[in-house]
Amino acid sequence: MALKAYWGRRIASSLLVLAVVLVLNFFLFRILPGDPVSAIIDPRFSPQAKEELAALFGLDRPMGEQFLLYVKQMLTFNFGVSFLSQRPVWDEIRSRLPNTLILLSSAMAISALLGIYLGVIAAAKRGGFIERLVLWAGAISFSFPSFFIQLVMLLLFAFAMPIFPLRGSVSIPPPPPGWPAMIDYIWHMVLPVSSLVILGFGSWALYVRNLMVKVLGEDFVFLARAKGLPQRLILWRHAFRSILPPIVTIIFLSLPGVVSGAVITETVFSLHGVGRFLLESVTGQDYPAAGAAFFLLALLTVVCNLLADLAYGFVDPRIGLERKMER
Amino acid sequence: MLAKRFLRSVVFATCGIAIFVAAACGVDVDAIRGPKIEELYLVIIRDPDAQLLALEKGQIDLLSDITRPVDIERLASNEELSLSLAQGFHAFFLGFNVRKAPWDRVELRRAIWQAIPRNQLVRDIFSGYSAPLSTFLPPASPYCAEDLEAPPYDLESARRTLQEAGWRYSNGFLVPPGEDLPLKPMKILSPTAQVAPTTAELAQRIAASLRELGLPMDVEPVDFSTLIARLDEHAFDSYVLAWQLARDPDSLYAFFHSSMDVKGGYNICGIHDDELDAALEALRWAPDEEDARLAARRAQKLLSEKVPMVPIYSRYFVTALRKEWKGAVTTRIATADNVWSLLAMEPEGKMRPFYWCLPEEPRNLNPFTASSAYDWQVLGLIYDTLLTADPETLEDLPWLARDWKVETVSSGDGQVTRLSFILRDDVLWQDGKPFTAKDVAATISFLKEHRVPRFWDAVSDVEAVTVKGNHEITITMKNTSYWHLHQIGGLPILPAWQLASLESWQIWQPIRMIHPQKRNLTMLVGTGPFVFSEYRQGEYARLVRNDLFWLMSR
Repeated sequence: MALKAYWGRRIASSLLVLAVVLVLNFFLFRILPGDPVSAIIDPRFSPQAKEELAALFGLDRPMGEQFLLYVKQMLTFNFGVSFLSQRPVWDEIRSRLPNTLILLSSAMAISALLGIYLGVIAAAKRGGFIERLVLWAGAISFSFPSFFIQLVMLLLFAFAMPIFPLRGSVSIPPPPPGWPAMIDYIWHMVLPVSSLVILGFGSWALYVRNLMVKVLGEDFVFLARAKGLPQRLILWRHAFRSILPPIVTIIFLSLPGVVSGAVITETVFSLHGVGRFLLESVTGQDYPAAGAAFFLLALLTVVCNLLADLAYGFVDPRIGLERKMER
Repeated sequence: MLAKRFLRSVVFATCGIAIFVAAACGVDVDAIRGPKIEELYLVIIRDPDAQLLALEKGQIDLLSDITRPVDIERLASNEELSLSLAQGFHAFFLGFNVRKAPWDRVELRRAIWQAIPRNQLVRDIFSGYSAPLSTFLPPASPYCAEDLEAPPYDLESARRTLQEAGWRYSNGFLVPPGEDLPLKPMKILSPTAQVAPTTAELAQRIAASLRELGLPMDVEPVDFSTLIARLDEHAFDSYVLAWQLARDPDSLYAFFHSSMDVKGGYNICGIHDDELDAALEALRWAPDEEDARLAARRAQKLLSEKVPMVPIYSRYFVTALRKEWKGAVTTRIATADNVWSLLAMEPEGKMRPFYWCLPEEPRNLNPFTASSAYDWQVLGLIYDTLLTADPETLEDLPWLARDWKVETVSSGDGQVTRLSFILRDDVLWQDGKPFTAKDVAATISFLKEHRVPRFWDAVSDVEAVTVKGNHEITITMKNTSYWHLHQIGGLPILPAWQLASLESWQIWQPIRMIHPQKRNLTMLVGTGPFVFSEYRQGEYARLVRNDLFWLMSR
């Protein structure tokens, strides 16, 4: 019962957060300076033509009416029509999601797995090559701007040694559908994904190393060693398991970022993705597109938070027990 | 090497004077037949460095609008590329809020014009790949009065001008006539360096020049939306902004007529001047070209006296093309990225697809609502207009209309403009149907009836459209203006049958609809030189040659 009440409260508070986001989403964009019509600075576009454009966008209707329409659209997942493209917002997002999801989820999975593995090894073998690599990789990921690394990779592997393509996610003309198209797609994604891995695994490795260094000095690890357990078992079954909750938190909280995209990566590699869509929607004051994108992001963040909570119970049974006792 | 030498000569030529060295090659557009290109890809590459790499690697054939001097130098030294350089319609101004002091004092505005070293700014910031601007229309405009005298840079003379008008200095700062205290600190609104680095730097340099004159000026960099909102609300002292203008001088009316000092209008400076208003009205409602030219000159002369804005520079447009493509049309006002080039160009040796770089995706391929230049880069190759402009002189040339007449006729109480077009009789739509005057009439009527915003200014003054036979059409306007010719002559023409059955033009997605009779076509059917084939979102647009195009050798 106590657990049910806990989840009931968590879901209710999540819905409240979503409701607040829904309202803020509408009003924040509208109280920002300017609007989609006044942003047009073309002397051939008269004030009368701008009025017609405002009517086309529905901006001539009373604010209350606009708000009700917006709420209805968000709650029914019919996000209206983008001001910039005059296409349904959902179509716009859907066409961009595959590239962004594949790019960022694969980059995140590889960087996380590689980083976690290297972080654990670096903590276990202090002063060794792996630790030095982790420290360097961490420094690179924090000190180099992503566009620099990505442009260098383009220059090296797409220009000087043209192993990979310079742009996009498909060759021109495109290969026939099926395996050739899939191989072509993977070929196009190698550089962007690997650039994100290079930029990302260091911070994972550094974080895990630091957590592990602390844990490896704890009593339960000394006890395990005293019992004569093998080093591998101590590292992965005892020490690593105890640092899983913060890692799980980071993984789940990173997921919304996977959808919001990587604007710079998408720009450098000319990928059709959600990151640029978000940026263009905000800078172009495309209310329906920006509103939908931020609402979806908020929804995903709330869901990921709930999932993280749920996952704690799996990775650390003590947490579920504590919650039960608290109730 | 030749390209590099040519470009260097341009740099030297532009360092000191506002005269432009052209890449003109003498174009006989009447002789052009085409298109010869069979397959055209508009390839989307967003990052400027990736664009250069793709061009150098031969993955694209044409790259337009190269702005960074370092890139121009680099490409100029590439023997596989030819660069064309042209005057554009870009104009960068420093504007003042003349609604309030001290900007309401004309002697101050004049002195500021003298106190900004435009030549030096262009040399320092653009390495010469721009021209100092001394006129209120860009030099490429046929209506630009380049002979009007602009004050040369002379700080001492600017100071003298002010002192003669009663201004004095106190601790290095200017004190307005009749006042005891020096001017309070003021700001130049500018976009941020992240968004527009060159503009932000120019704003800093201009502020430094104004401080030398004795004005306590500083730069206030703001987000672009904030900048526009502040200008709209008149909450500013001065601002810097670049404009992309057009061949007609109607921007002068939009920028400086008192009726345009309204929300959404472009009289940002807020100048209200009866003499100027009269000149601008004469320009806007000029019945014929000669009157228009005289009125444009008169308006520019008044502007150079009243100085509501200070012209700073106009940038050149640079385009790089792979040399294996022959026949590109370049003039002093057109780089190789124009429709004439696409008609005339063919590769050395075997025909192959032509790859043209698009720096952004065309997000909207609905001709009624498409607004970005990238949308129209695609749509402009599919749809035709009644008239076009000569790439060398910008004079009107026949296109879908082979002849036309602009008349001023009596109507009711006053006079109105009547436009008569005689259309070509050899034009076919891309689906094989003949193009007739009914299509033109249907397009104009549709745009007016549905109040399509993008075309509203062109059609709102249409009073009546009369079709005579298949190839003659007369359009009577509600008032008199020579510019109606260019506005009506510049409309993209759509097929009448399509317009008759079109319900939701606002959300029309013609590229996703198959033509009812021709299964290989979409509903994006024009009379233009290229037929829409495929748009892979965010990747490329593919167009193929329109074998029915009226300029094809038959």
